[in-house]
Order: sequence, then C-alpha cells, then structure tokens
Amino acid sequence: MTEYDVINGRAPRLDAPAKATGRAVYVDDIKLPGMLYGALLQSPLAHAKILNIDISKARKLPGVKFVATAEHAGMVPYGVSPARYDENIFARDRVRYVGDEVAAVAAVDLETALEAVSLIDVDYEELPAVFTVEAAMAEGAPQLHDKYPRNICAEVHQEFGNVEEAFSQCDLIRTDTFINKRQDGAFLEPNGVVADFDKHGYLTLYSSTQVPHYVMRILSMVLRIPVGKVRVVKPYVGGGFGPKAGANTMELAASLLSIKTGKPVKMNYTREQVFLFSRARHQFKHTLTTGVKKDGTLMALANECYLEGGAYASFGIATVYYAGSLLAAPYRLPNMKYDGYRIYTNRPACGAQRGHGGVAARAALEQQLDFIAEELGMDPVEFRLKNSMEAGDITCNEFNTSSFGMKECIEAVRDGSGWNEKKGNMPEGRGIGMACGFFVSGAGYPIYRSDTAHSTVVIKLSEDGGTAHVLTGSAEIGQGSDTTMAMIAAEALGVPLDCIRVSSGDTDYSVDLGAYSSRQTLMTGHATKRAAEDLKRQVLEVLSERLKTPVDQMDIKKGYIVFKGETPDFSGLRTIYAKEHRGFMDNPDRDEPLTFKEAARIAYLARGSMVGTGSYKPEELGGKFKGAAVGTSPAYGPSAQVVEVTVDKGTGKVTIDRMTDAHDCGFAINRTSVEGQMQGSLSMGLGEAMFEEVKFDEKGRILNANLSEYKIATALDMPNVDTIIVESNEPNGPFGAKEVGEGAIMPTIPAILNAVYDAVGVKIQELPLTPERVFMAIQKKEKGGK
Amino acid sequence: MLLPKFEFHEPATVEEACRMISELGGKMKILAGGTDLFVNMKKKLLAPDHLVSVDRIESLAQLDASNGSLRIGSCVKAAVIAESDAVKSAFPALHEGASKLGSPLIRNLATVGGNLVSARPAADFPPPLMVYNAKLVLKSSQGERSVPLTDFIHAPGQTALLPNELLAAVLLERPAAHSGSAYIKLGVRQALEISLVNVAALLTLDPSNGVVTGARVVMGSVGPTPLLSVSAEKALLGEKPSDALFSAAGEAAASDSKPIDDFRASAEYKRAMVRELTRRALASAFDRVQKQ
Amino acid sequence: MKKMICLTINGKEYELAVAPNMTLADLLREELLLTGTKKGCELGECGSCTVIMDGRAVNSCLVLAVQASGKDITTVEGLETEEGLHPLQKKFIENGAIQCGFCTSGMLLSAKTLLDKNPKPTEHEIRTAISGNLCRCTGYQKIVESIKDVSEGR
Repeated sequence: MTEYDVINGRAPRLDAPAKATGRAVYVDDIKLPGMLYGALLQSPLAHAKILNIDISKARKLPGVKFVATAEHAGMVPYGVSPARYDENIFARDRVRYVGDEVAAVAAVDLETALEAVSLIDVDYEELPAVFTVEAAMAEGAPQLHDKYPRNICAEVHQEFGNVEEAFSQCDLIRTDTFINKRQDGAFLEPNGVVADFDKHGYLTLYSSTQVPHYVMRILSMVLRIPVGKVRVVKPYVGGGFGPKAGANTMELAASLLSIKTGKPVKMNYTREQVFLFSRARHQFKHTLTTGVKKDGTLMALANECYLEGGAYASFGIATVYYAGSLLAAPYRLPNMKYDGYRIYTNRPACGAQRGHGGVAARAALEQQLDFIAEELGMDPVEFRLKNSMEAGDITCNEFNTSSFGMKECIEAVRDGSGWNEKKGNMPEGRGIGMACGFFVSGAGYPIYRSDTAHSTVVIKLSEDGGTAHVLTGSAEIGQGSDTTMAMIAAEALGVPLDCIRVSSGDTDYSVDLGAYSSRQTLMTGHATKRAAEDLKRQVLEVLSERLKTPVDQMDIKKGYIVFKGETPDFSGLRTIYAKEHRGFMDNPDRDEPLTFKEAARIAYLARGSMVGTGSYKPEELGGKFKGAAVGTSPAYGPSAQVVEVTVDKGTGKVTIDRMTDAHDCGFAINRTSVEGQMQGSLSMGLGEAMFEEVKFDEKGRILNANLSEYKIATALDMPNVDTIIVESNEPNGPFGAKEVGEGAIMPTIPAILNAVYDAVGVKIQELPLTPERVFMAIQKKEKGGK
Repeated sequence: MLLPKFEFHEPATVEEACRMISELGGKMKILAGGTDLFVNMKKKLLAPDHLVSVDRIESLAQLDASNGSLRIGSCVKAAVIAESDAVKSAFPALHEGASKLGSPLIRNLATVGGNLVSARPAADFPPPLMVYNAKLVLKSSQGERSVPLTDFIHAPGQTALLPNELLAAVLLERPAAHSGSAYIKLGVRQALEISLVNVAALLTLDPSNGVVTGARVVMGSVGPTPLLSVSAEKALLGEKPSDALFSAAGEAAASDSKPIDDFRASAEYKRAMVRELTRRALASAFDRVQKQ
Repeated sequence: MKKMICLTINGKEYELAVAPNMTLADLLREELLLTGTKKGCELGECGSCTVIMDGRAVNSCLVLAVQASGKDITTVEGLETEEGLHPLQKKFIENGAIQCGFCTSGMLLSAKTLLDKNPKPTEHEIRTAISGNLCRCTGYQKIVESIKDVSEGR
C-alpha cells in the first residue's frame, strides 16, 4: 500500500475559508464600472408563430440602451451537440415553449430593463401545442422542428447479443414499466452573467457555468467572434448538477447587448426563470423486459424508453443513448436490446442532470431485479452478488471495466447496514431495501467532434518561494475540484499542499472540457499530475547538472529533495540562495536537507520561468457501432446502497430512517470531499424519489416554478448516511482515482422503492413517492388490487 | 425580483395607524411580518401605493398570558408564540400550529395577525385558534369591536376586516378544565410546507364519567376557508372516548370537508386525510387530558 | 421618496438614505457591497439570504431596508472577529461542510442563533434550526456535525 503525503487525506478545501467568510465572489457579486442591467422577454405561450415584434416603445423608455431581437442576434443555430443545433438566441418565427426567449433589453438599472421588457409588443398567433410523448408522436400532431418528423428528436436502436434467443432460454421473464418525473436542478445559485465587450473587441463573459470552454465556443460561433477573442470566466458557482453544463440564452444575450452598447451587462435568472430554462432531468418512461435463469443468472434485457424532451435538444441526444447504454453494467449481461426515443414537446428543454440518462433506467432495473429475486426466492443481495461484474470484464456494449469494486460495495453495505439481520425481520410498517449503480468517469469523447485534449493544465512555479500556481480551465462548481487538483499537484510535485495555489475556470488558463459526466478528477487530475511531474523533472534536471547526480537518483518529497544514493554536497546552492535572501527570516537551517524552495530558485536562475504542462486525452474507446461513443469512458464506478424506511400507512408518508452507501471511487484523493459528494448525491436522489416533480398546467405553464412547491429535501428530511469508500485502484485514473460526483445517486431511488415495497408490499412504479401516491397504492392493495 | 414602488408609513401608535388606514383607504396595505405580502408584491399579484407598517407598534407585539387566558397582539411573531411556555402548556394546539408554520426563518418574521388576515385556506393559525374559540379585536378610528374567529374568515383572502380596520389582538379564554387539544399538519416534507391538510381538535371530558362534554374539530386546506366540523362535534358529544369514536368523528369531519383536486393533491386523498388526521388529533387531545 | 435609516451592521453604525421598496438583502449587497448574503429565490423559500436581525435569523429578502432601521444586523461578514474565525466557521471548514458555499452564510447564521439560545442542542433541534436553509450539495450531514462539534466544544 503506497504511502502518500497529501492525497487520500482530509485536507480542508482551499475555497472553504472564502466561502465561510462571505468573501467568495459569485457572478451576481460582480460589479463593473458603467455596468448595465439586462432583462429577457420570454414567450407566455407554449407554441405560437411570431407575427410581429414591436420594440419601438421599449427603445424610447429613458434609461434603455439597447433592445435586441433575432434581427440583431442573427440566427446562427446552436445547442449542446453539433448533431442537434436547434436553438437560436431569440425566436424569430416561432416560440416553442412558455419561456422561449424573444428579446432582451439592456438599461441603466434592472427596474428600467424590466419595464422596457413589458413595453415590447409581440403579436403571436397561437398554435396547437403538445405536452406529452403520446400527443407529440400522434398522427397530425404539430411539429416543433421541421427537420424532425413526429417530433422525434433522436432515436436509438441497439442490440448486443441476441435477446430473443436468450429469452427462449430463460426460466423467468418479467416486464415492468417505470416512470420518473421531470426534475429541476434546483441549485441554490440561479444562473447569472456579466458580459463585458471591451474596447479592443475582446469579449469577457463571467458566468455561473460548469463548462467555460463549451460556452466560449458557442459564444464564438453564434456571435461570430474568433475563439481567441472570447474569454469565459467562471467565478465561484453555487451548484450546477448538469443544467449549467451548456451555453444558455442569457450568456449569449448579455454578450450581444454588451457588444451593442459597449458596456458591461449584468443579467440574472430569477428562480422562476431557472425553472423555465430547465435543461434538467427528463421524464423517462422505461419498459424493461428482463430474463433470468432460475438460479438467478441474468440473461437478457430489452429496454424501450421514451424521453419527454421539451422544445429543444440540449443534451438530449446523449441522454437518449445513456438511458440504454448504462444498463449494460454492473451485472454480467450478455444480451441487451435498447430502443430509445427522445421526443420534442412544447415545454422547457430537458438536458443532463446528475447521473444523466442513467438514473431513471437504473431505478427501473434495480426495482425490477428485486421483483425477480423475490419470484425466484432469492435474497436481493445474493442476487446482485451472483451477477456482479469484476474488474477486467467487458460489457456487451464494449465498456471496459479496468477497476470494479462492485462486490466490495455490495458486501460493504450489506454488512454496514446489518442487512442479514434486518431483512425479513423489520417491524410492522418498516422496510429495508438495496440497489446498485454504475456510472462513467468522464465521457470518452468531447461534445463536439475533435482531437482536442480533454484537459490541459499549466503549472507555473513561482520564481522564488517554492510555491506553484496551477492554472486550469476546469470548473470548481462546489464539488471540490480545485482542492483535488491542488492535492494531486502537491503530491506529484512533492511539496506540501500549502505551497500550491489554484486558479481555475478561466478559458485563458487552459483548455478543459469542464465539470460534466464526472470527468474532472480523472481527466483534469491526469493532466495536473503530468504537469506537476513535468515541472518536477525540469527542476531535477537543473539540480542534476549542478550536483552531478542523475535525475533518477533524486526525488522531491514533502518539500525536500531526497537522494536515493549518497547525498551530494549542495552547500554551493545553499550559499547562492542565502546570498539572495539576506534579511529573510525563513531561510533553511544549516543542516536542513536541500529544500524544494532552494531548488526551485536555482532552477529559475538557470532557466527562467519554470512552467510544467500536462494534458490528457482518453484513448480510443468503445465499439464501432452507432452511438458507441456515448457511455464510453476511461473508467467506470459502481456503487451500492441500503436504505431503511418507515411508512406511515395512515397517511402514506415515507420517512427515510437510514442510508448506508458504498461507492467505488478508485482512490479517494480527498476523503472528506468524496463523502460529501456521496451524501449530496443521496440527498438529490432522495428528493427525486420522494418529492420532486415539475408540474404543468394544460397550457404548458409551470405550476410550481418556486422552491416552496418544487420540494427538495430539507435538513429534517435527510437522514445521516453511513458512507463507505471503496478503493479499487483504477489503472486509468491518476493515483487510481475515478469519479464520485454522479455515480453515487444511482442506487438511491430504487433502494428507497425497494425498501417501501419491503415495508408495505406495494409496487409503486411511478415517482415521486408522495404521501398520496403511497397511500393510494396501499389502499388499492388492501382492497384486493395488486 | 423587485418590489414595486410604494410610499412607506410607520405609525407609532394604534391610533395613528387607524387614522392612516382610514385616510389611505383602498390604496393601502397593512404591513406586519411581510412574509405573505412581499411574496405577492414580488410576484406582481399586488401593487399597493402605500404600505402602513404596524410592526413596530409595541402594544401590538405583546403576548400576555397572565391569569390563564391569552391576549396575543396581532404583530406577535409566530416564533414568539412557539417559544412561549405558557402557550405550550395551556394551548398546545396553538403551540403546534405556530411551530409548524413555514420555517424557523419565516417564523421569526410572520405574525399571527398576518396569518389570519391573509386568510389562506392552508394557514396554520386559524384551526388551532378556532378550536380555542378565539376572538379577534378589530380597531378603527371609530372604536373597537370583537369578532369570533369562526366568523372572521369568509373566503380565500377575504375576511370580516373592514377597509378602515386594523386587527389588534387575538383573545383566547383558557379551555375548560379536563380539556386536551392538538394540531396536526400534513405536508410532503418536514419543513417549509404549506399544509396538504391540517386538523385541530379539542376535547373536554366530564371527570366523573369520562364522557365528552365539549368537542371542536377544525380542518384546513379542505375548503376555501378553515372549516369547523359540526358533524364531528355531534358525533363526539356525550360519548366515551375510544379509537372507534375518534374514527367515527374522522368520518364525520370528512363528510363536512370540501376539498378540491389541485396540483398538490386530489380531493379523495385530502378527504381521507381529514379522516385520519382528525382521528389522530383527537387521540392526541385525549392523551393530553389524561396526562393532566 | 427615500427615507433615512440608521442601523448597526456587524457592529458598525450606518446612516443611509434608502428607497422604501429596497429589501435588506439588496441594501447589504448593492449599497454596502456585503455580498456574503446571497439571493437564491427572493421569496423566503431557500434561506440563502439569512441574516441575524436583533438576535433572530430572518430572510433578508423579505425585510425592507426601512424596517431594519434601528436594528442590529449580523451578516456572515460579521462572524469573524479580531481573534479570528467564529468556531462555527472553523468547524465548517474543517469538516467539509462547505461545497458550493451558496447556502453557507445562511447556515452559519441560523446555527449561530441556535447556539446562542440553546448551547447544547439535540440533533433534531439542530436540523430544525436549519430547516429553513436549503442545501443542494451536502445532504446536510457535515453541516449538522459541525454545529454539533461546536456545541460540544470540539
């Protein structure tokens, strides 16, 4: 077991003191001189033609500096994936959902901007709208996008092995349907921007984003400014979870307004606008047919899924693939068929949210597997253990599991929760349930087709003082990536953590694809490690020349130079250093080993600026079939969970009493951060299972676009979680590390569903488990239904 | 989100407040805690030209529990009511209602008066106050009058408060000896909830034979206003407490309830919850009588 | 028409002219550049804007600046003293109770009012005290542990 100096510990996060004292700057905290305020005009109708837009009254309002519509913005289409660029900054001919952006105003203050927005007259001709998958696919339904008949945004058909033949050899086949509901990201910080187009024609956009790089490219493409003249800066972000992983209209509109006015423009979403924007979890309807042998061997799975996608594609083209591909693990499954359809509807567009297309699929399958286990008379834990994959196994859709602690996770939660004692012995009204999960550690391919490195990192050694500055385009969005990179850099360079400074989230620093698909620990981590090793090598090369010692006989550890052989006489170097530092109070003692501080100074004197660079790009991953790219990843992480619930039969209210969670993160760079991500994932999963649902009226307007009626877990709803970190040492990960940010949510919903079934024997295959839904299901069962 | 513009008035006394209210008439809203008013103003549902803030008038912020009865100034915060030991011991349903309102942060701003006058069907104060037969003191420049709370709330957002009146205080008489009371709020989450259904119950027993001599059941969120269940009261009077009796009372209360289907829950579920929560509130009230 | 207000914020006295419709949250953030108080919903539903006003934790988005006149306000910036960070701040940092940080100001201030009134709260009392402060990142656990640690003198 390797001993590490910095990583694998519990270093407090670098950004915590600023956040604890109110000094951390988020986008709405930014003020620039001469700054204007922007506001958006959004469609009140779900589907309508735009006949005319009259901005004359708005323009005349004193204090208004610019009113922008499609006429000014142009119609360069964009979106998340180049395969589905189906959005424009502003609608010109048609609006497709309540909230679709039509215009934007920049004015001297917010009040004036809002008043101007109210003065813009839009003549709409209302069109029939479709709000459900069924309605959208029906014969004669209104089409949202001419290019996509029957409103099918994307469809996927894949088969691996031979499912029909496998079914013919199964002893038990079950079909179940499962529906989750549209969620909202519900991050505490609403999206916001400050756009600043300066006098040199450079655009700087400060934005609460997960993906500065992608936003920069979209800005460049849509506003037609060269990439090198666009800079996206991510201040501290108050949560992202997926909906902030793509460029949004506000970013483009504010930039456009800044270009037109020559002044910085600030714009924020209200909480209601966050809901209207959505780009959050789709509603999935999964029909799973699963076949097993009577000894519990999993043989085949046929998965049909319909995604209600909203008015634009956003991440949806990836989502519809993930909803199939992620079921290929963590169990050995030789035969899998997937038919997925993502359907346009006149509602806010759905995108990627923690766990992406895997969450509903996982809930559906893990619930069904419990039903199957019950029919076979098998314990659910035994069933999972029997079918679990191991490191080195390859899925039917060609995912390579280079490390895979699935069995360890299952055993950990089984033992940690007391499953064997409790299962079958729970008191009346209480239940225990378990489930497993599986996720990627970073998408194998960038969102746009490219040979680009996925992550590049620059580390600049200070010319004196022995500190290093990590410059990375990666996005610290609250998950702790800055601290992770600092720890990796410190470990790889060989210095204490407090010698490392991190600057991140700025496209000027380096290319990094950003915080999505749980990629940064592995990918940015690799690039950081390589940059640090590059820097170490450069420093050691200088020492090697000076001390006549081969580089491979030296190392840097805990801020000192260590010599594998005999320690050479370095007094000459110490003298040089001392001469330059007369009056300094922290010079090394006479008998102290050679310090990194001294070596770094000597290296600077010899070579000038010392810069280490590192980059990471996954190797070619995955199969050659259509859609093979989606779901590929350099590493995969399994997890398992046991949940205990109490069901109040009289009201249907479910209380989550206890959660035990085991997650294979490969290697925990920061144990506290890993636990925090597990606990946070579980609370989001709990919310989705129990309370969260975006509700609409018959005109496509959101009924609960606020945090009172869209209910995320409060401190009184969330129990304590026994977190167990499993470390399987991923060979493809830096120091063996892989993801934790999204995978941990995967087992949560089904573990809760399975626990509720254990408690009261009702099968509920639709979320959320509101008291009403549970109560009605219990009533139905007691009256003789199933 | 911005609040619309308004003129702000801060009378120092009740008399001054009543005068301002008369003068400003329909273009004015009274500001107490603001937790309901500001939300509506930010959502552009209301845009009064004038706000008359009564939040600093000391006489309206007094909680007086001497000699067993209770006088609660209309501007007393929900948190203060929830923290009062006197309320907790003598008026436990009121304690429970105050404790479950919104969140601790909201409770530090929201006032009992605001909660009554805003007259939301799901409000937490009316049902417990109604089971205690609360009376409201309404003041104006012309004088003062007392209105039973059961006659005060007419429809969502509409009360017996006249345009020139100010709700000054809530008066409760100590419940009869051998009484117990409880308030139950059903929400989806454990905090920050607007009730799906809520029920307050009060039972008074004859100590010699244990028979119910007084009963009041009030339910919220199952009608345009909080509803006093006459049927439940009838079902309980003269009977000996038992779980079967409380279930029957729950059935009776359900028959008096008028829930609607809305995006929060179906009428069928709400009615079933009236049944269940009434039974539980009565059981809890009974339990409290016995513990006296 | 603007109104003059006098109030104490983090121990310092201020005399300011404010529009009646300005909220305390905006006064702090826009006029005084005390941006540690955050705006997550502006309707009193998330707790990000929590400040302490005359000893009680309140949603500053639902308080007018004029209502705060004469009052004693503590924002997150006021927790630190010359002696250093408040014990709650130290524990939050040490325990990993801060992820995105947006709920942190509100959590610290709600926790402070709890411990000022109830120095040895139960876990349930801690969770109740912060039940008006939503967090989407942490699952609350390390926040609750941190408050408990401070109450136990750790």
